[in-house]
Amino acid sequence: MGIWALRGVTVAVTLVVLLVAGTVAYSAYEDYSAVKAELAGGSQQAVGAAVLRGSTETVSINITVPNNGLYPLNVTLSCDYPTSNVVCQRTSVDVSPGGEGVLRFRMTVSDVTQFEGSDNQVINGTVAISMMPFVSLTVGTNFGGFVKTGGGQ
Amino acid sequence: MYGQTVTMRKRITSAVWALVVNTIFWIVIPYYLGVFLTGRVPESALTVPTFVYEFGILFIILEVGAAFFQGRGVAVPMISGVALLTVVYIWYATNGGNLGVETSGISLVLGFRTMLYVLVLPSIWAAIRAPLTYVVWRRALRSEAMPSRAAP
Repeated sequence: MGIWALRGVTVAVTLVVLLVAGTVAYSAYEDYSAVKAELAGGSQQAVGAAVLRGSTETVSINITVPNNGLYPLNVTLSCDYPTSNVVCQRTSVDVSPGGEGVLRFRMTVSDVTQFEGSDNQVINGTVAISMMPFVSLTVGTNFGGFVKTGGGQ
Repeated sequence: MYGQTVTMRKRITSAVWALVVNTIFWIVIPYYLGVFLTGRVPESALTVPTFVYEFGILFIILEVGAAFFQGRGVAVPMISGVALLTVVYIWYATNGGNLGVETSGISLVLGFRTMLYVLVLPSIWAAIRAPLTYVVWRRALRSEAMPSRAAP
């Protein structure tokens, strides 16, 4: 009786681990495929605009985030302020399984002339993708590429 | 399994087998993996961390002990020790579920602490199960040895 109960718990623990690992792997694959398809340009889901007024440029990016996985997805964009003339608002979206959300990111550069003729302007940005509650991926990259020194879209 | 008669010859054979298998798994494979990686990427300082070998030696000692004392109570702490050591090893190797790389101005950090809790669950249960199995076996043995209290 006791031995069988212990074996039962062992089987249950193994099943839980397999179930969680399997569903997380499946969700990660589905979400990755969806993002990859979006970046490939199959749909116009990522819309960006850079508006220049005087020497102030406002970068707006709207990204539609689909969630084809089995766990809720959270996507957050944020950036540090290397100089006082870059203002970047932290934005985040929670997407439930099977749904989609829109991430609206705004960044204002008050003196865009400093970006002209230079590829070295760095705006440290962070993209955090979290498959709640199990896995998260944080990518630190340069958001300076979003700034178009010529203005326009 | 407890309660079975295990000959000294079988104990020694099991211990030697455990020694060979665990030495290959914990020492030889990591060493040659390190040599292979260093050969593939010579400009990088890719080396197998020392803790891999330190844990490997502990794993070998405990596994050999568990194999030699199989079927006895002495093996219980060794079996539990291996399971607990596995938990610590996985935690160390994955930096507590937080792995990061930085290349070409891009940093990637993968966080999976909750997933790690799930992954170490079987090892934690194995550490608990070993003494429980022994206790259950002892109780069953005692109840078999006690005279029946059935009605005369």
